[in-house]
Amino acid sequence: MSSVNETDRPGLARRAAILYGVIAFVSLIGLADSIYLTVEHLSGRSVRCTITSGCSEVLSSPYATVRGFPLAGIGAVAYFLVFSLATLAAFGYGMVGKLLTFIVAAMFLTTLWLLYLQAFVIHHFCQFCLVSALVTTTLTVLVSYTQLKLSRR
Amino acid sequence: MKRILPFVIIALVLGAGLFTARYLQRASSENPKPVLTPSASPVATRSTGNPGEPGAEPAHALGDAKAPVTLEEFGDFECPPCGVLHPILKGIETEYGPAKVRIIFREFPLVPNHVHALAAARAAEAAGLQGRFWEMHDMIYEHQKEWHEAFDVRPIFEGYAKNIGLDLKQFAGDINSEIVERRIFLDGKRAHSLGVQGTPTVFLNGNEVPFESLPPEKLKPLIDKELAAHP
Repeated sequence: MSSVNETDRPGLARRAAILYGVIAFVSLIGLADSIYLTVEHLSGRSVRCTITSGCSEVLSSPYATVRGFPLAGIGAVAYFLVFSLATLAAFGYGMVGKLLTFIVAAMFLTTLWLLYLQAFVIHHFCQFCLVSALVTTTLTVLVSYTQLKLSRR
Repeated sequence: MKRILPFVIIALVLGAGLFTARYLQRASSENPKPVLTPSASPVATRSTGNPGEPGAEPAHALGDAKAPVTLEEFGDFECPPCGVLHPILKGIETEYGPAKVRIIFREFPLVPNHVHALAAARAAEAAGLQGRFWEMHDMIYEHQKEWHEAFDVRPIFEGYAKNIGLDLKQFAGDINSEIVERRIFLDGKRAHSLGVQGTPTVFLNGNEVPFESLPPEKLKPLIDKELAAHP
């Protein structure tokens, strides 16, 4: 992995560092949310939700696991990857930017699919899953904006 | 130093994430209750340092009061895992018989997450006032998927009441009565005093059974151990 600062312009590098820093911070929210969801899933209990009413329905549905592995756990891994790549990018490892974009795009598509499942198949919404959807959407916007800004220079 | 710093941050976040997961897992499954041990004494309120609030009296119980094993379930009629546990406990009741295993049901409706849970608890308690708690309990659990999606569950529960031979006029009055309300409240108070956080939560002779040990192939060996310790 090559060290970056592919540009000599310190202003641009600073702006990129700030944008990637924000992405890393937002991904931490998703990481915390998905860790909590994973633990709740593994405990298997029907827990109290405070806003929506479908946590147990969503978490105990067959869509909550992939080959026996909690989907939320996969989400936690994805958020951690995003955090790691964004942190590296913020410190000048610019080559990871494309990989970050690819992962966030995949996460966004998965989020759309999961929202569809909650709305039209399970007919219940889990508030923690909605938080994750919001975080992923925010990450998508931030990564798109960052890539756009950096590619214009 | 600047080249190493991001890796240090990533390692720190990974460590913090793993620590948080471990902490949450302990808090949710091991919580303040002691782990199930074969040496636990036979009565629910004896084996823990915290006997908890008494709950509604008399409790809804199946089996001999002197049975060496007592399973006390805190359940919510609308929670899907509770619906899964229902046939498991029925199987244990049949297999071990009333002389060996006593089963107690406590109301713990997760309101407002489960919008019909309180109505279901009221219906079961109202049936209990006519001596038909367990019949209504079974009926509600066995048809959970049917009424769970309904907008108005009241006529459905009245249908169950009719099927199990209740006096419908009395049932309609009892369902909103103070005594029914109080029983649910007292069971909830007991649940909170024991640190119950979700459903189903089952205590075996006063010790919480971890959720992952509730499938019959894991629950039965725990019961057998208790029976062996208290013949």
